[in-house]
Amino acid sequence: MQEPKLERKSEGEYTLDVRGQTCPFPQILSQLALEKLREGSILEVITDNPPSARDVPIALRKKGYEVEVKKSNGQWHIVVKK
Amino acid sequence: MEKVMRFMGRYSLGRDNGMGSLHFLRIKIPGGVITSEYFKGIAELSREYGRGYAEITDRQDIQLHWIEGDDALDIFERLEKMGFTTDMCGQAFPGAGHGDVRNIVGCPLSGVNKDELIDGYPVIKELTRFFTGNEDFLDLPKKFKFSISGCMYNCTRAEINDMAFIPVVHDGEIGFTVLAGGGAGKTLPGPTLAKPLRVFLSQEEVFDVAVATVEIFRDHGNRESKAKARFKYLLDQIGVNGLRNMIEKKLGRKLEDYHGDVSREWIEHTGVGEQKDERYYVCVPLIGGKLSSDIMEWYAGLAEEYGTGDLRLTTFQNLIIVNVEDKEGLLKELGKEGVVLKGIIPKWTAVGCASDFCGKTKEYHSKEIVRDIVEHLETSYPNIFVNQDFKIGVSGCPNNCGYSVIASVGLEGRLIRVNGSVKQGYDIYLRGKLENGSIGRRVAEGVPAENVVNVLNKLLEQYKIKLKNESEIRFVDFLEKLSDTEIKKLVEVT
Repeated sequence: MQEPKLERKSEGEYTLDVRGQTCPFPQILSQLALEKLREGSILEVITDNPPSARDVPIALRKKGYEVEVKKSNGQWHIVVKK
Repeated sequence: MEKVMRFMGRYSLGRDNGMGSLHFLRIKIPGGVITSEYFKGIAELSREYGRGYAEITDRQDIQLHWIEGDDALDIFERLEKMGFTTDMCGQAFPGAGHGDVRNIVGCPLSGVNKDELIDGYPVIKELTRFFTGNEDFLDLPKKFKFSISGCMYNCTRAEINDMAFIPVVHDGEIGFTVLAGGGAGKTLPGPTLAKPLRVFLSQEEVFDVAVATVEIFRDHGNRESKAKARFKYLLDQIGVNGLRNMIEKKLGRKLEDYHGDVSREWIEHTGVGEQKDERYYVCVPLIGGKLSSDIMEWYAGLAEEYGTGDLRLTTFQNLIIVNVEDKEGLLKELGKEGVVLKGIIPKWTAVGCASDFCGKTKEYHSKEIVRDIVEHLETSYPNIFVNQDFKIGVSGCPNNCGYSVIASVGLEGRLIRVNGSVKQGYDIYLRGKLENGSIGRRVAEGVPAENVVNVLNKLLEQYKIKLKNESEIRFVDFLEKLSDTEIKKLVEVT
């Protein structure tokens, strides 16, 4: 099983591709990734799992993160600002 | 991260959509076999994380609700220590794929059953170990369901599994024959009873045939759409002979023919029964499989005091304490808490799905209807159904997790419009059966939920009238003989 990698897109912007993962791993992996990032960083989480698209924003907003969700081509891009 | 990676592929949370729950945890209990120590361990998990509630499913799992994603790693770690894993819940993905092998069901009395030809549990354990976390089998077109039972009775609903191994004697040798391509849900080609593969297998051959079949499903199953992704669709395309040829090619040998009878009586191991070692089993009827953490600990304690601490879960959502010597003592203890092991058989055999948590029913959910039907039968017909059974299956939707389409009386949830408002209704199916099986026929659509027990009562009242002239006729036979006109009149809601 391959570990989903946190990829740097540009200065302060990162993506985490958790496509193919079922709950709760998109949520857990998003939280672990955010712990590694500096204040002000942007993390884009990409998922194709509808329950995760529902749950990850709920979980992160509860923790005080700003979250926006965009859907395109059957995938959700959950953009989180730390 | 290492801990997270360790759990991937073996643990998951499923999506809930009702009762304020976002996630369920479906713990696989292979063959329904569990010790009191682990039953208590799961009771603790339900208390700490699941609001003190648990339910036994009709695939012998234990399911908890209200699980938070933040607690998942702790829960998985504790399950790992007990040796349990979960379903992978890939069904939420929009397309075909992410399917896994689900909890393998078996006779809940395996190893102690007086009516057992062969113990199917060892191969259940072997296959569970093989498939769990195996990356080669985590992206099937859809889920795959096995039944492996050595019981002379059909206590696992074999015909509704993708593949079922049932015990037979062939030329003096005890082994298994195989049924393939069953499924109760509405995905193509619709509700289907598994067909005989007409092969005889020794116990040692079961593992290879099971693995070969899942490989065939993985490599040849349809991935165009979810509607075509179940194994029954593939079998519909290739036929049983086609499947057999593909299995034999994989194994590199021909399988032995078997043309004997495959039909067995569909039962639950109800009440108190004698085991082959002259000890007893005690089957507790749980309506809808519902338990609290306190009750789970109580039953675990009773299993330790009166048995050997061994418990079994059944496909009718009931709980069995095995290896009991002092059955009278146990019955007395159960009686103190109002658990009575006498009465109508449907109290053990009626099944309802978790439609309340799925969010598929608006109100008057499947398990509530099961409870009310059983109560009505106990109150109004207490003597008639003590010695005869009829299967009641209540599902919240066409996925048919409550097996409505194979029940004698089946209910399938559907939302209806009444005076401009959306309300809960149920379609009614009659005459489903597994012995010389047939899928039930829908006789009424969209009956308002509050009328369902009345409709059933009209059928029962007519049956009571019939009994005056034909005292031996069973309710299931009465249903078979009703004409379409008679049925229409009886199920009409005014």
